[in-house]
Amino acid sequence: MWRKEIRLAGSGGQGLGLAAMVLADAALRAGLHATIMQSYGPEARGGASRADVTLSDQPIANPWFPAPQILLALSQKAWDRFSPKLGADAVAVVDLDRVQGAQGANVWALPFERTARAELREKVAANMLALGALGVVLEHIPQEILAETAQSRAPKGFGQVNRTAVARGWRLMGEALGGIAHADSVGP
Amino acid sequence: MAKRELISGNEACALGALASGLRFFGGYPISPSSEISEILSSRLPRAGGVFVQMEDEMASLGSVIGASLGGLRAMTATSGPGFTLMQEHLGYASLAEIPCLVVDVMRVGPSTGVPTAPSQGDVMQARWGSHGDRGTVALSPASVEEVYNLTVHAFNIADRLRTPVVLMFDEVIGHMREGVELTPPAPEDLWARPRPAGAPGPDFRAYAPNEQGVAQLPAFGDGYRFHVTGLFHDERGYPSTNPDLVRQTIERLERKLDPIPAWLPPEKYRMSDADFVYVAYGAVSRVAREAVDRLREQGVAAGLYRPRVLWPVDEAALRKDLAKARTVVVAEMNRGQWVQVVAQALPPATHVVSYGKTGGEPVTTDELYGIAADLNLRSVKSS
Repeated sequence: MWRKEIRLAGSGGQGLGLAAMVLADAALRAGLHATIMQSYGPEARGGASRADVTLSDQPIANPWFPAPQILLALSQKAWDRFSPKLGADAVAVVDLDRVQGAQGANVWALPFERTARAELREKVAANMLALGALGVVLEHIPQEILAETAQSRAPKGFGQVNRTAVARGWRLMGEALGGIAHADSVGP
Repeated sequence: MAKRELISGNEACALGALASGLRFFGGYPISPSSEISEILSSRLPRAGGVFVQMEDEMASLGSVIGASLGGLRAMTATSGPGFTLMQEHLGYASLAEIPCLVVDVMRVGPSTGVPTAPSQGDVMQARWGSHGDRGTVALSPASVEEVYNLTVHAFNIADRLRTPVVLMFDEVIGHMREGVELTPPAPEDLWARPRPAGAPGPDFRAYAPNEQGVAQLPAFGDGYRFHVTGLFHDERGYPSTNPDLVRQTIERLERKLDPIPAWLPPEKYRMSDADFVYVAYGAVSRVAREAVDRLREQGVAAGLYRPRVLWPVDEAALRKDLAKARTVVVAEMNRGQWVQVVAQALPPATHVVSYGKTGGEPVTTDELYGIAADLNLRSVKSS
């Protein structure tokens, strides 16, 4: 049995709630189990957005965790708040242009928003690029299922963009892991 | 694998209510129950029902009671502060025998407390929150799918026994999304209210009980004339202070709820030879199940007893189900509420331990496993 605890964190409007839905739904489509707990109320109204996704090959008893094994941070605030709690083995993926000072052996800083704007002409697709990158880290969800789910759950008119974004994010992370990417786009 | 939907407990509650034939919702949205109102505000009118946002929680349950007297399946949804305000009308619906569903998604109290954090602090309030002696019904689901199914059961119980029913779950169950396949109830799975025994006329007795001890009220508009009151009343519904009548009514209203525990029996997980038992409901029962598996790997005969009906309690059945247990840990997100039921039911020789967690953070598997280690159960390695 395995269990992965993933926190998607950033600010309101970055589409982290949708990213969590796509991730969990893709896991279901891949035959896995998934739960989501999402921030709301005063916490969400402060501009911060957070969704906790748990994945497993077995039914999930507890959807709650104090600190994630995998953190996606798309804002400085999210990084500052959640990175101190990360364990030694935790993996973090952050937006290169949004988060400063994210360093460590398992920290990956990638240009999600920059790439979304430059290549897809849609800044808001950064969430799906980040999701594609997470897909590589997670290992349990095939890229095609993640991309297909991103397309089917996209807001009207964004289906193809989101599908492409997942694939592009997947490639960004693959390049980073393979050491192909430029030094300044992947830390350290 | 069949297609599973990714929905939350609150969403499942709204969907379960619609599938049950809900026709009226009167409520005042409150965290962490608001999604139930939100969803029904758009979906209930499209299903031919009426949604009204009332001015407060007292009025909310008042409107539900009125709709129910009109013959409709009716409900409201709230959380602790609103549940407190509804206690007066819950008592009224009990004595006047008006079916209704109150959903309480529990958050940390007292007062406005922590609006967004989970709790199970309303369990005793569901039993004793309204003044006077009365039997109460409270159901407690532990998964998104079970929220859906118990919402259907709650309406069935409310209608067949003409009683208010409380469906209570913690914020974790309300907000957690998980993959579920929902099976809508078949028409024959929806229970009807008892039909009036006699024809309209001066001799009609709306509160003459049937064999199950349940009044057989018509709906307003059915052509009958009858009286409804929160005073003790005779079979025609008119006020009475006759001590025998009052005593017999109190007893009947409690006794008519007796079948409920057998309709919704507890879940017994790895209980057949268990001498170390967790008793847990709602989100806590999910982690208790994991703790049981972990203890079994260590050679401890552990089990989980999960009540789905918190009220009424069948004490004899509880005693029988836990007869083999030497140690019982009752784990709850409160200071120890349902543990009082367990302690009262079990013989003095059984070691009953209360693990009550407050503060707004859910109970974890590690914590429950740790209790077993602290109790020095044989073959448990301390971690």
